[in-house]
Amino acid sequence: MEIRPILSALLRSRTGAILIAAQVALTLAIVSNALFVVNDRLALSARPSGVDESVVFHIDLSPTRDIDDVAAMQRLDVDTLRAVPGVVDAAWSNQVPMGMSGWGLGLSHKEEDESLVLAAAWASPDSLVNTLGLTLVEGRDFLPSEYHEFDMRRGAMHAESIIVTRRTATQLFPDETSVVGRSVFMRTPAGFLPVSIVGVVERLKSPFAQASDNAWSGYILPIRFLGQGTTYLVRVDRPDAMPAVQRDAEAALLGLRRDRVLANNRTLSQVRDVRYAPQRSVAGMLIAVTIGLLLITGSGVVGMASLWVAQRRKQIGTRRALGATRAAILRYFLTENALITSAGIVLGLILGIVLNNVLVGQIEMPRLPLTYLAGSAAVLWLLGLVAVLGPAWRAAAVPPAVATRAA
Amino acid sequence: MFAYYLRLGVSNLRRNPALTALMLLTLGVGVAASMATLTVLHVMSGDPIPHKSERLFSVVLDNGPDGERGPSQQQNLVPYRDVRELKDGAFGLRQTGLYGIAPAIDSGRDDLPPFFAAGSAVHRDFFAMFETPFAAGGAWTDEADRDGARVVVIERRVAERVFGSAAAAVGEDLVLGETPFQVTGVLDGWSPLPRFYRLSGQDPFGDSDDVFIPIAAAVDMQMDPSGSINCSAGGALEPGFDGLLRSECSWLNYWIETATVAEADALRDHLRAHVEEQRRSGRFPYQGEVVSARNVMQWLDFLQVVGSDVRLQTWLAFGFLLVCLVNIIGLLLAKFTARSSEIGVRRALGAPRIELFKQYLIEAGVVGFAGGALGLLLTVSALWLMASQSPNLEKVARMDGTMLGATLALSIGAALLAGLLPTWRASQVRPAAQLKSQ
Amino acid sequence: MLRMNQLSKVYRTHMIETHALRGIDIHVREGEFVAVTGPSGSGKTTFLNIAGLLEDFSAGEYLLDGVDVRGMNDRQRSQLRNQKLGFIFQSFNLIPDLNLFDNVDVPLRYRGLPAAERRRRIEAALTRVGLASRMKHFPAELSGGQQQRVAIARALAGEPRLLLADEPTGNLDSQMARGVMELLEEINEQGTTIVMVTHDPELAVRAQRNVHIVDGRVTDVVQEVSLRQPLAAIA
Repeated sequence: MEIRPILSALLRSRTGAILIAAQVALTLAIVSNALFVVNDRLALSARPSGVDESVVFHIDLSPTRDIDDVAAMQRLDVDTLRAVPGVVDAAWSNQVPMGMSGWGLGLSHKEEDESLVLAAAWASPDSLVNTLGLTLVEGRDFLPSEYHEFDMRRGAMHAESIIVTRRTATQLFPDETSVVGRSVFMRTPAGFLPVSIVGVVERLKSPFAQASDNAWSGYILPIRFLGQGTTYLVRVDRPDAMPAVQRDAEAALLGLRRDRVLANNRTLSQVRDVRYAPQRSVAGMLIAVTIGLLLITGSGVVGMASLWVAQRRKQIGTRRALGATRAAILRYFLTENALITSAGIVLGLILGIVLNNVLVGQIEMPRLPLTYLAGSAAVLWLLGLVAVLGPAWRAAAVPPAVATRAA
Repeated sequence: MFAYYLRLGVSNLRRNPALTALMLLTLGVGVAASMATLTVLHVMSGDPIPHKSERLFSVVLDNGPDGERGPSQQQNLVPYRDVRELKDGAFGLRQTGLYGIAPAIDSGRDDLPPFFAAGSAVHRDFFAMFETPFAAGGAWTDEADRDGARVVVIERRVAERVFGSAAAAVGEDLVLGETPFQVTGVLDGWSPLPRFYRLSGQDPFGDSDDVFIPIAAAVDMQMDPSGSINCSAGGALEPGFDGLLRSECSWLNYWIETATVAEADALRDHLRAHVEEQRRSGRFPYQGEVVSARNVMQWLDFLQVVGSDVRLQTWLAFGFLLVCLVNIIGLLLAKFTARSSEIGVRRALGAPRIELFKQYLIEAGVVGFAGGALGLLLTVSALWLMASQSPNLEKVARMDGTMLGATLALSIGAALLAGLLPTWRASQVRPAAQLKSQ
Repeated sequence: MLRMNQLSKVYRTHMIETHALRGIDIHVREGEFVAVTGPSGSGKTTFLNIAGLLEDFSAGEYLLDGVDVRGMNDRQRSQLRNQKLGFIFQSFNLIPDLNLFDNVDVPLRYRGLPAAERRRRIEAALTRVGLASRMKHFPAELSGGQQQRVAIARALAGEPRLLLADEPTGNLDSQMARGVMELLEEINEQGTTIVMVTHDPELAVRAQRNVHIVDGRVTDVVQEVSLRQPLAAIA
C-alpha cells in the first residue's frame, strides 16, 4: 500500500523515527538476552533432585564436646526418629542434597588411574534409597551384611558394594545399558578401593547441585561414618504432617542427651530455596528489567506518535478533507510505526547477537538461541503496534474541518 | 544567568505534568536499576584493606602431581607442613597461617545454652597484619603462639553475650568445647567485606568470625577444619588428625605482609627456595610454576569473589539506563519542540544561540536532578528489596556516601547527555519562522 | 539609522529558488516613523526579518546605526539586536508561562543588567503602557490590546534605537488598534525611530513616510508631510 510516501515523510523528519528505532533495537537486544538468562536460571533452580522433597526434611545436631559412643548414638537416634509418629523412615547421612557441603570422591575403571569420574560420595548406615524415596532402575538396595564402620581417626575406609546414579553409570560406562555387577575403583585418600556396583538409582542430586549435569553424579556407600557431626534425613508419610513431625523429631532427639545442640531442621524444599536463592534473585531482577524496558519503550512509542499526530493535525485534516477515510489515517500511522519498529528490530537482532557475544566473553553464558531473538522480536513488534493504536486512533478522529481553520 | 535559567527550568517542570512525570520516572527507574546493581558490585569488588592490600600476600604452593593443569586443579590452600616451615622461615614483616574452626561455646550459664561459633585458628601476627580493631585487651603473646596456650580473642558480640561487656571479658575464661580459653582481647566489630582473609568454605559476604585462637592450640586439640580439605595432590593420608597434619592435603591459608610492595619478588624467591628445599624429600613433583603469592585484590580476583551474575546484572542495568536515555531524548525533544515560539521570541529579543543552549541544557539538568532524587529513593528501595530477597546480599546491598553522590551525578550527567541533542535542536530554531505563526 | 543598499534575499531549497528581495534600497533616518507596505508575499516580512537581524541576506549592504552587519557572528548580531532593536509582533508573542514582569524582563536579562536596574526599567516600561498594576498577571489573563501594550513595554524596556513593528494592530479591533497606534506615535515623538510593516493603508498614512514593496522591489517612496517635524529628507 502507501509505504513509499510514508517512507519519504519519515526520511524527511528522521530524528524521532531514529530515536524510536534505536530504542526498539536496544530493548530487543537486552530483552532477548535477559529472558534467555531468566529461563536458564529458573530451569536450573527447578531441576529435579530425585527426592520427594515435599515429605523429606533433615535435622542436624552438633556436639558441644567430644562424643565417644558415636555408633551407639547414631543407632539410638535413628531408632528414635523412626518411632516418631508420621515418620516413614530415617537415615544418618554424611550430606544433604543441595546442602552446599559434602564429599566428593573420584571413581575410575582401573587402579592408579588418575582420569577420574568425580562424583558426590554418599555414606549411610541406613537405607538412603528408602528414606529419600529414590527410584531403583536396576539392581537392589544394600544388604545388611554389606555395611561397614569407618572412623577417620582410626582406620581407612572400606566397602565392597556401591549404588550409583544413572548419570554416574553413564559417565563410567557410556556404551552399556546394564552396569550391575561391574567393578570400579574408588580413589580414597588412603588409596584405590575396588567396589562392585549392586544397584542404579534414577537420580540423586549432589550436595553441590552444580549447574552442569554433574549435579546428578553420585554414588552411595554402605558405610557408617563415625564422625562427630550428625545429619539425619527423615521421610514423613504426608506433606501436611511435616511441621508437626519436624517438631516432634527435634524434641525427641534433643531429649536423648544434653551434649549437643540443634544446628538445622529444614525441609528439602527450604534447602532448595537457599541453594537457588541467587539464581532466583537474578531471574527476578532480569524480569523486572524486562518489564521496565517494555513499559519504557511502549511509552516512548506512545509519546513520539502523539507528538507526530499533534504536529500533523492540520495535514491530517487536509487529507480528511480531500477524502481520506478514518481507516486510511489509522492505517497511515500504523504502517509508519510498523516501518520504524521493523527497522529497529532488524538492528536489534544484530545488537542482540553482539551483546550476547560480549556477555559470553565477560561471564560464563551460553550462546543465545535464535528462538529467543525471534520471540522477543515478535513481542516488541506487537508492543509497538499496541502502543501506537491510541495516538493513531486520535489521529483518525481529527475532523476534516481542521484544515479550513486558521493556522 | 545560571540562577535565572535554573528558575526557568524548575518552573518549566510544572508546565506539562504528564510529560514531566514520564521523564522523571523513566530517568529515576533507569538510574535506580544501574545504581542498585553498581552499589552491590562496588561493595563486592571493593578493597577491604586499601592502604596495605598491595603488601599482603596469600601464598599457594602447588604440591600436585606433574602434568597438565586445568582450572579445576588450581589449589587455593596450603598443607599444614608448609605453614609450619614457612612460619619458621619468617619472611617479611609478619606472617600468619589460618584455618576455620567451629567450636561450641559453653558459657556455663544456665540461661545460655551452648552455641556454635565461627572462628579462625591464627598466628598472633594476624591481628597486626589485618589491623583488627580492639575494643579491649589485645593479641596474645609470642610465647602463647609458640606453646599453643589456651588463649582466645573474641568478637564484641560474643563478649557481650557471655560476659555482659567487652571490658568484662578480658582475663576471663571462655569454654570452647570443654576447654577453658583465657580471653586476651575483644575485637570491636571487625567485619571486612569481603572477608578476604579466609574465603574457603563460606560466603565471602557473610558474618565475620566470633573467636580467634592460636593455631598451635587448635592443632594440639585436634580441632577439625570447618572449611574444605583438598587432598587431590595425592600422597598417603594416614588416619587421624596427625595423619592430616603430615599429609599433602591442603586446608590452610598462609598470609605474608611485606614491608614494601617491591618485596613481592623477593618473597617469591623465598618461597621457591622453600620448594627447592622440600623437593629434596621428594615433594613438589610438578615441574611448572609451583609458587604463587597474590596480593589481596589479586586473591579476590583469583577466587572469583564477585560472581559473574553480579557483573551480568550490572551490564544489563546499564543497558536499561541507555534505553531510558534514548527515551528521554525523545521526550525532551517533544518538550522543547513545543516551545519553538518562545525560542523565537527570545532570539528576537537578543538571546544568542549559546544562551538558549545554556538555558535548555540547564533545564535538562534540572530534570536530571529531580530524576536523580527519585532515582535515589528507588535505589534505596531496590537495595532493600535485593537484601530481603537474598540473605547473601544483605551486607553488600548498602548505600554509602560515595554511591549517594554518584547516583545524583549519574542522573544529572545522563539527563545532560540526553539533553544535548534536543538542546542543540532548540538553539538552532530559526527565529523568523516562529514569530509570524500563532 | 537604517540603510540598505541593493539588498537581495534568495531562498534556496534543493529544487526551488525564490527571490524574496531583489536589490532594494531603503534608508531610514533617526527619529523617523516609516511604514513599509505591500501586498501579501511582496517581501515585506523578509525585509523586516533582515532589518531585525533575524535572517541573513544574500547580497547587498545593510548598515544598522552606522554598523555594517555583514559577517557578524550570532553573538554579535544577538547583542546588536538586544541593544539597538525592539520588536512588536502581530501576535504579540508574549511567553505564556511568564508573568508580565518576567516577560518584560527577558531582553534585560540578556543584557546582563543588575537586578535593581532591571526592576526600575520594567516598572517604568509597564507604567508607561498603563499596566504597572498587573505586573504579576499572566498574558492569558489580558485582552489582546493589553497584551500588545505589554509587548511594547518589553520592546521599550531595552531602550532601543529602532523599533520594528510587524502588523502591530493586525489582531486587534479598531478601538484597541487606535490605542496602540497612539502609543507608537507617542514613542516616536520621544525620539525612537519606528519601522512598521503593514498592509493596512489607513495605518500607513499615519506614518511620516511610506515605503511600498511589490515583488521584492521598492516601487515608490511616498513622502508624507509631518505636522510635527520639519520635512524628512528623502534618502
